[in-house]
Amino acid sequence: MSVQVDFEAEIRRVGQALADAMPTHARNPLEAVDRKAMELAERDERLQAALLRLVDVTPACRSLEDLAGHLKGYLDEVGERPPSLDAAMRAAHTKAGRVALGAAATAGVRHMAHRFIVGESPRDALRAIERSWAEGIGTSLDLLGEATVTQAEADRYAERCADAIATLARAAAHWPERPALERDSLGPIPRTNLSVKVTALTPLIRPEAPHVGREDAARRLRPLLRAAREARAHLHVDMESVDALETTEDLFFSLLEEDEFRAGPSAGIVLQAYLRESPVQLERILDRARRAQREVALVVRLVKGAYWDHEVVEARQQGWRPPVFESKADCDRNYERLTRRLLDARPLVRLLIASHNLRSISHAIALNRLSGGEDRDLELQVLRGLGDDLARALARSGLRVRTYAPVGDLMAGMAYLVRRLLENTANESFLHDWRGGAPLEELLAPP
Amino acid sequence: MSFRNEPTLELRRAPARQSLLAALDALDARLPLSVPVLVGGGRGRVEGIESTDPGRPSRLVARAGGGTSEDALAAVEAARRGFRDWGRRPASERAEVLRAGAAGLRERRLELAALQVRECAKPWAEADADVCEAIDFLEYYAQGAAELESGPELVQAPGERNLMRHAPRGVVAVIPPWNFPLAIPTGMTAAALAAGNAAVLKPAEQSPASALMLIEVLHAAGVPADALALVPGLGDAGAALVRHPGVHVIAFTGSSRVGLEIVRTAAQTPDEQGHVKRVVAEMGGKNCAIVDEDADLDDAVPALLRSAFAYAGQKCSAVSRVLCHEAVAGTLIERLAGATEALIVGQAEDFATQVPPLIEQEAQERVSGYSHLAAEHGRLVVQRDEPPGEGWFAAPTIAADLPRDSPVLHEEIFGPLLAVDVVADIEAACDAVDALPLALTGGLFSRNPATVERVIARSPVGNLYINRATTGAMVGRQPFGGNRRSGIGSKAGGPGYLLQFTEPRVVTENTVRHGLVVE
Repeated sequence: MSVQVDFEAEIRRVGQALADAMPTHARNPLEAVDRKAMELAERDERLQAALLRLVDVTPACRSLEDLAGHLKGYLDEVGERPPSLDAAMRAAHTKAGRVALGAAATAGVRHMAHRFIVGESPRDALRAIERSWAEGIGTSLDLLGEATVTQAEADRYAERCADAIATLARAAAHWPERPALERDSLGPIPRTNLSVKVTALTPLIRPEAPHVGREDAARRLRPLLRAAREARAHLHVDMESVDALETTEDLFFSLLEEDEFRAGPSAGIVLQAYLRESPVQLERILDRARRAQREVALVVRLVKGAYWDHEVVEARQQGWRPPVFESKADCDRNYERLTRRLLDARPLVRLLIASHNLRSISHAIALNRLSGGEDRDLELQVLRGLGDDLARALARSGLRVRTYAPVGDLMAGMAYLVRRLLENTANESFLHDWRGGAPLEELLAPP
Repeated sequence: MSFRNEPTLELRRAPARQSLLAALDALDARLPLSVPVLVGGGRGRVEGIESTDPGRPSRLVARAGGGTSEDALAAVEAARRGFRDWGRRPASERAEVLRAGAAGLRERRLELAALQVRECAKPWAEADADVCEAIDFLEYYAQGAAELESGPELVQAPGERNLMRHAPRGVVAVIPPWNFPLAIPTGMTAAALAAGNAAVLKPAEQSPASALMLIEVLHAAGVPADALALVPGLGDAGAALVRHPGVHVIAFTGSSRVGLEIVRTAAQTPDEQGHVKRVVAEMGGKNCAIVDEDADLDDAVPALLRSAFAYAGQKCSAVSRVLCHEAVAGTLIERLAGATEALIVGQAEDFATQVPPLIEQEAQERVSGYSHLAAEHGRLVVQRDEPPGEGWFAAPTIAADLPRDSPVLHEEIFGPLLAVDVVADIEAACDAVDALPLALTGGLFSRNPATVERVIARSPVGNLYINRATTGAMVGRQPFGGNRRSGIGSKAGGPGYLLQFTEPRVVTENTVRHGLVVE
């Protein structure tokens, strides 16, 4: 019992220290322009829907007037509008008004997109990546793009990935040393880090025939693994919806089990704690990692999961039991159980805690320390645009932290942006509570 | 209404897939099946028709009786007898029997799906969905019959009692197609039985075995042998049923040609026929999907692909013409073409297959004819190699640049051929849809609420789908049926469908005696 009490006390100490290390404006990390929109959106679900639909359609609009027309259409469906939006609706009655309104909306969306999307291309993103590195924050690049529905699109995505590895690796050779980011007790950690999506590597993702997508994506992932090995980069395979889970996991391990990848590159997979099946999945992952007998540890990124709405809607429409936990507390408890299991599984794995939930993060740090681990044997990851202040606080505290940073054009980034906005405005999100001024004690309480 | 759709199998899970493959193995060991004429509890001939595997035509799936006109006559006579008992049972009792039927299908769902894979080359996911839809129809109409019995509320004045009842009509001839080999026969038969009629089922000659399993399940559930007969056969057996003066309702789903022929024949009222026949007909479609300039092509391309090529386009709800805004036509055609090239054409039993073989050689020839027309009048954007091996395959094809009067843009093709037709704006797209005599389903991809509203107002189609595929209507959620020359009668799986199988009777009782109300 007393061990348990001590453990909770340690979690609170870690969380308090991190909160203290946050920049002073961190209680309200959203910047002025979108803060207003977000605050409005959080108050009214229909307004939130209108905002998301606007963000979603912006790249497809051919003129400012066209965009204003869409905006008016979305706002028409909002019952009680705040006065500022009523003024916008009146502006939409004239052509000049529509152009002005369209310009304002575009600027708003663009501003928001820039917060989440680090640049149009990897080269474009270098300056921001290097600035972060200087501050002690690593980066994992994620290439945004339109959905892959053709083989040509899959080829283009693979080319962009190869280019990103090369561009980053070239630049990284000149970066100053940052020991906290470059070595843990198992050995060196690559500076270059790319996250890839299997659904972008093949147009053949078929939930009922996982081998088809696996075989097709393997043709493109294998050269990327080689490129990563040559460039001494880390390649992380993202996890998406359950429809692609079996394909992704099988693809990842079937390639890493090949002889040529035994010694490298460093490679990682994702475990989504919102999945009810995640504990079983974790045992399977550990088992396969053990059997692969690679010389580099498997990296496992533990996340909550970003496709909650999709999973629930799909399951409800089909009459299936949703594959995800439906209460936040269940999900958070599972996250902590998986953290413990993963920490125990070292040195077979390296663990990444990717979360904005101060409790989950503090729990992992505290558990690692109490079980005799070193801080450098745990990596923390946050999303660009949402977790920037948290990343700084973690870096200042001497912890290893990396930002997951999407790269791509605004047009292509919309699906990503919409998902992030949904996450950020969800009533159950940690950031929502944090911004709302919930007491730290409450935020750090066991789920 | 507290109806819930039967959950489909979660085929993204390996154990679900394995259970289906095991069911297919078990079925294969029993082939060919025997499908006799089943009238009044007696088993008739089992010779005359052979149903084969469209993916391997040398494989015999079933031998079925070639029902004759005499078999049809005998079936109607038996049904008249069966009606006397079945029609008098309270709706709640009939509903219980139908629910037991749903349970029977549920028990055999793996076997039923496997049979569709073999008999109709229906890919697994769609075969399973078809079984679920059949279960849904039984449950939905069972519930509907119980609700129908209480009748609608009428205006009541003092001194009179007004009641409205829905009585069964008598004998229903059910004539379904092969493309939903269990769901459509089940739907029409279940509606007939739920309302208190007797039914004679004449299945499509391509899928008699699926019909047999349905009849077996319903008889086992408690539908009396006389109240439900099976007459497998060719067109003449169906025609004999349609002509028969003892038939009250003809429930048909199939081609426009046969449907209109049925309407004409059923209109005859020979002297010995004491009623006017009613026809419930679901016929063809020439379904268009409109793609607006602001459509999200990431979503539209996969949805169009599914609408046009799933089950090789052999669904009456399938899209065969895209009306695309000129601003995005170039991109859409390029992405559709690339996505079509990536489609997996193969045997239905392979879980990877997206485009299975067509049902029969005649279908292959028809689709190939339209492809040639499209190449001649316009341009084939994608031309895939013919799939190797036997089976009635047709390669998925995209055509463009067709002149407005090309038959490819106007006629139902019922195969994997999708024509892209570029329009200047949404009004032009609506005009093109409005000019078609067929009006079954339609699609729209747009993110502008004003456009959505305008297209809804202008669409004549029975089922309009916005920002999703045009196929996969669910019982109770998307009641299904076409307008104009695509169908008559109200929508299957929706409120009101059962009424077509009933005749309304209104009773007014005077409750005044000697100036006093004696209620």
